[in-house]
Amino acid sequence: MVSSLANIDIRDAFFDSLYDIAKEDRNVVFLTADMGARSLDKFKADLPGQYSNVGIAEQNMVSVAAGLSLSGKRVFIYAIAPFVTQRCYEQVKVDISGMNLPVTIVGIGAGISYTSDGLSHHATQDVAVMRALPNIAIYTPADCQSASMTAFLSYKSDGPTYVRLDKGAYPVLYGKQERFTLGIAELKKGKDVLIISTGIMTHQALTICDELTKRGMSPGVADLYRIKPLNCQAVLDLLGSYSRIVTMEEHSIVGGIGSAISELLTDHGICDKPLKRVALDDANCKGYGDRAWVHLQHGMDVNTVTQMILQWSATKGN
Amino acid sequence: MTNEEMSRKARWIRRQILEMIAASRRGHIGGAFSCTDILTVLYYGECMRFDPRRPQWPERDRFLLSKGHSCVALYVILADLGFFPFSELQSYCVEGSMLGGHPDRHIPGVEADTGSLGHGLGIAAGMALAGSMDNKEYTTFALLGDGECHEGSVWEAAMFAAHHRLKNLVAIVDRNRQCATDYTEDCNALDPLPNKWKSFGWDTMEVDGHSMGAIAAALRPARNRSSDRPLVIIANTIKGKGVSFMEANVSWHHGIPSGRELEIARQELTLE
Repeated sequence: MVSSLANIDIRDAFFDSLYDIAKEDRNVVFLTADMGARSLDKFKADLPGQYSNVGIAEQNMVSVAAGLSLSGKRVFIYAIAPFVTQRCYEQVKVDISGMNLPVTIVGIGAGISYTSDGLSHHATQDVAVMRALPNIAIYTPADCQSASMTAFLSYKSDGPTYVRLDKGAYPVLYGKQERFTLGIAELKKGKDVLIISTGIMTHQALTICDELTKRGMSPGVADLYRIKPLNCQAVLDLLGSYSRIVTMEEHSIVGGIGSAISELLTDHGICDKPLKRVALDDANCKGYGDRAWVHLQHGMDVNTVTQMILQWSATKGN
Repeated sequence: MTNEEMSRKARWIRRQILEMIAASRRGHIGGAFSCTDILTVLYYGECMRFDPRRPQWPERDRFLLSKGHSCVALYVILADLGFFPFSELQSYCVEGSMLGGHPDRHIPGVEADTGSLGHGLGIAAGMALAGSMDNKEYTTFALLGDGECHEGSVWEAAMFAAHHRLKNLVAIVDRNRQCATDYTEDCNALDPLPNKWKSFGWDTMEVDGHSMGAIAAALRPARNRSSDRPLVIIANTIKGKGVSFMEANVSWHHGIPSGRELEIARQELTLE
C-alpha cells in the first residue's frame, strides 16, 4: 500500500492529528493524568485553555470528563493504559459507558509496551474489561496512518471510544485513502490460513506470513484495528476463503480478540474453521526483559508461531 | 417560600417518600429523610435557577445528587415542581418505570446518573470547569453523603476543584453521621470533617441541616460569592429525620416500614 505519512511514532501520529482537530474546534478538551508525550508539548503550549494535567488521579479524571462532556465539551483523557481503564473502571462503567458520553479514553502502552516495568504497567486485560462495557468502541492502531485516523474517528463519534495506543515507529501499512470504517483490513490475501491480529502484532503477523509463504503456504493477514464493535459481516466475509484461523494479540488469552473471534464463530455456528489463539498466557508477569524476550516466553515469537502453524496445517482437523 | 412554608413542604415531601417506599418496598428512607430539608431549601428557597418547563435550559444551575440512593426525595420535588407528571411517582421501581432506585439523566431535572458513591463531585467539578471555560454564569451544586466522603475519589475531586478555583461549585455534605451499616465515627472516623475540606482549599461552612433558616442563609448567597474558592456546606443532619423511631437508627438506611411502624410514621408525617 502507498504510505502517506512518514514512518513516525504511532503515539505522535495520534496526538498530531488531535492537535489539528483541537486547533479547529476549541470545544475539544484534553485531560491527562500526569502523562506526557513529546507530541503533546505543542498542544499544551499552543492550546493551554484546552489542556489540563489533573494529576495522578484517574478516577477523578473520568468523572470530570463526564461533567465536561455533559456540558458540551469533546473530551479526550489520557494515561498509561492499565491506569485509565482498570484503576478507574467503575467510573468508566457508570460515568462514560453508562451515560454513553462521547469521551475518548486514550491508553498509552498497549500490551507489554512498558516491558520491564512489569505487571502494574502492562495492559494485558484492558481489552477484556473494556469489551464488556456497552457503547465503547475499541481501536488498536498498528501504524501511524491508522493512529492518525483514529483520532479523527473518535472525535467524530457520538459515543465513547477507547484507543489502545502503542509507542514507537512501525512500517506504514495503510495509504491516505483508507477511511478505517470497516474495522478490519485484509493486508495480505491468502488461501489456507488467515492470521487476524491487532496493534503492533500485525507486523509480527506479516513477518510470520512471509515465513509461511517461503515454506509453501498461502497465508493471509487481517488487521483488526477496531476490536469493538466487531464488524461481524466483514470478518465472516474474510473467513470465507480460508480453512484455518489464527488470532494474534499482545493481550491475555482471556477476553481479547481471540475470544471475540471465537465468540463470533460460535454464535454463527461455524464449526469447519479451526481456530488457534496466540496471546499472552493467563499468567502474571513471567520476568523482566524486552518485548521480544516476553514474546518468546509466551510462545508468541515469529519462529514459535510459524512452526505451530506449519505443524497444525499438516494435521487434519483441529 | 418562607421558612415556615418550607418546613411544611418538607414534611409533605417526607410523607410522599414514605408512601412511595412503603408501596414499592424499595428505597433508602433514612438518607432521603436526612437530606429532605436541604433539598427543599435548594429547590423552593430561591437558591437555584431552574425552569421545570425547560430542564435543559443552558443557563440553569446544575444539581448533582451524588448520594443517588436518596433519589426518592428528589423525585418528589421534581414532580411537585412540574419537571414530570406527579402521577409518574406511582410507577417508582415498577417494571418499565423511568424512576429507579438511583437516578439517571433520562429523568427531566436529573443531570447525571449517580448511585455509585464518589462520582458526583468529580462530575460536578467538570460541569463547573466547563462553565468557567465558557464564561457561563451557572452554579453547580452537588449533594454528598458523609459516608460517601470515605471514598478517595471525593478527595481527588476536592483537590481538583480547589486547584481550578471553581468558585461556581458548591458541595453540600449531608452529615447524618451514618453510613449504610454503621456510624461513621465508629467505623472510619470523619471528624473533624470541616477541617479536612478547609485543608483541601475549600471555603467551609457548618450549618444545622434541619433549620430552613440556617440552610437558606448558607445557600442563598452561594451563587454570588467574592471568594475564588469552591464552597462546601457541612449540613449536620439526623438520618431518618421526621419519624421518631427511625432517627439516628442504623436499621433505617434502607429499612421498609410496614404495619404498626407505617401507621406511626404516617401519623408523625401528617400535616396539621
